[in-house]
Amino acid sequence: MTEPAPPPASASTVGDRRPRRRRRLARTRSTRRITGGFALLLALVAMGFAYSAINPAGQNAAAAPVDQQAIAAGAQLYQNSCVSCHGMNLQGVTSRGPSLIGVGDAAVYFQVGTGRMPAVENAAQMPRKAPYFTEKEVEQIGAYIDSKGGGPMMPDAKTKLQDQAMLAKGADLYRLNCASCHNFTGQGGALSQGKYAPSLEKATDRQILAAMLSGPENMPKFSDAQLTPTEKKAIITYVQNSKATIDPGGYSLGGFGPAPEGLVAFLLGMGALVALTLWMGARA
Amino acid sequence: MSREDLARLGARLDGVELVEYGPRYVPGSPADRRAERSVAKWFLLAALFALAFAGVFIFWPAGYRPAAAAGSQQALFALYTPLLGLTLGLCVLFFGIGIIAMAKKLTPHEVAVQQRHVGMSAEADRRTMAAEVMDTADKMGLVKRRGIIKGSLALAGGALGLAVLVPVIGGLIKDPWVKGADSDLWVTLWRPVTGPDGKVKKVRLTNGDGTPIRPSDMEAGSLATVFPGVPGGDKASDSPVMLFRVRPNQQMRIRDGHDGYEFGDFYAYSKICTHVGCPVSLYEQQTGRILCPCHQSQFDVFDGAKPVFGPAARPLPQLPIELDEEGFFVAKSDFIEPVGPGFWENPAGSEKWGSHLKGSSV
Repeated sequence: MTEPAPPPASASTVGDRRPRRRRRLARTRSTRRITGGFALLLALVAMGFAYSAINPAGQNAAAAPVDQQAIAAGAQLYQNSCVSCHGMNLQGVTSRGPSLIGVGDAAVYFQVGTGRMPAVENAAQMPRKAPYFTEKEVEQIGAYIDSKGGGPMMPDAKTKLQDQAMLAKGADLYRLNCASCHNFTGQGGALSQGKYAPSLEKATDRQILAAMLSGPENMPKFSDAQLTPTEKKAIITYVQNSKATIDPGGYSLGGFGPAPEGLVAFLLGMGALVALTLWMGARA
Repeated sequence: MSREDLARLGARLDGVELVEYGPRYVPGSPADRRAERSVAKWFLLAALFALAFAGVFIFWPAGYRPAAAAGSQQALFALYTPLLGLTLGLCVLFFGIGIIAMAKKLTPHEVAVQQRHVGMSAEADRRTMAAEVMDTADKMGLVKRRGIIKGSLALAGGALGLAVLVPVIGGLIKDPWVKGADSDLWVTLWRPVTGPDGKVKKVRLTNGDGTPIRPSDMEAGSLATVFPGVPGGDKASDSPVMLFRVRPNQQMRIRDGHDGYEFGDFYAYSKICTHVGCPVSLYEQQTGRILCPCHQSQFDVFDGAKPVFGPAARPLPQLPIELDEEGFFVAKSDFIEPVGPGFWENPAGSEKWGSHLKGSSV
């Protein structure tokens, strides 16, 4: 563990004698390094342009090759943890769990990735909790489910899901399609008989996308034809921006808008007014 | 007479006797200076915050920056408006506190005695005043004679009042039925449009941005809010429609008289609640319920959008839909009943509810 101490800097011994020369030496070396870096950068950029000019069709994403190993591993995980409610052949079990045929790996990514599945008990709605499976296992289960009936697919993990230029458009789309249930600041809200639209507080970009693609539980599905991938990106951008926006007043009061804000302003303001009036009327 | 004597005299004429009257503290005494300082403190604070307000207004970076773009500087931009309010508000508050403090700490020390008296004027004053008024009117002949003056004066006053009221109240009175069967309450923008060439064109179902919708755009279990594809369609308050695509194996019931209004698994219902007209779009795609956020009415999409909970009494009107030659959704006709909340002349809702399984005869 004990590493040898670094040798004492020789600058203190030599530096007094030849300071000017050393400085000039250092300058030329760093200058050379910077120019070299620039040349390399320029060459790379030029190459990039040349490549994109020659090969403009290179942006089509190739479908991920079917990974038999992942499917087999996913099948094993499915047999261990999912089969009792969703059935041997994903057909679902009456009054326990729905059929998973055609839900796609987007549904698995959302349900298992947010810890909603495996469920603890059969309730009106499955709450978000710490995921039971690792990300790799989620992918394997997804591959297995997808191999059995297709359905909406998650894009590659590296795909950028936000586009700041689309923020305003995203807000528009969010208000039209999402805000009625999830509230205009993503706080969520109640539905009928114990069901609810969850808060988007902890939702990641990919989880929001997966929810839109797969329509988990009572949420309607938003296919890529109904809301294009660009529009979905815009919505994700708005949600994440809205969450990242600080509350200038210091406290959001739940993000429910004018009702709680008005109440608090009224109570505090009235209290202050009464106190001031009492002080004014008090004997000097 | 000195100024103080004049002040005392004024008080005395009002029935107030100043028993003790003088500066609160001995001028220049420590207590006097302390009071002075404590008042000046508030005014200085007020001045400070007024300057701070001006400084914030001029120098603070203003404007909206999206959270992602602003990064760590977000607080800087977000605090602009609160800081303006805070600085100006505190300035006004401290100014006010200073004034009150001045009144409390620097106004003269006085002990005043005032004689109490009844609030009413003396008997003689009241009777002479009344006599003066009535005598004037009598001598003008306004008490017993001059009916024409009194009558025309009342007429002028009444007519003037009417002239004021007519534009105010008249602006609120509109005859909703002036267009007969075409009146706004009966028709929406979904009604097929007759072009200048006399051809009747059915209205397309479009997104908010005007793009028409095909069946393949929606997956089973989805909902889209659509608008009539005519100018102003996305702004008309009675026109938003929810287009549902239900699962193919879902058992559906059709409201009596509404057979064929759907297109395959696609159903279109008005988005306007029949209770008081809120937009209903909290859709539970598994249970087929639509919730209204205002008063918790619930409608069952799987059973003709009939109300199943809450104050709404009538089902959501169903828009009959089909495909045009190009394969886009169009409205076959307008709604067959008025959308939104009820009104006196609306016959819908008086008929009895009835529905039958899709495909079965009534």
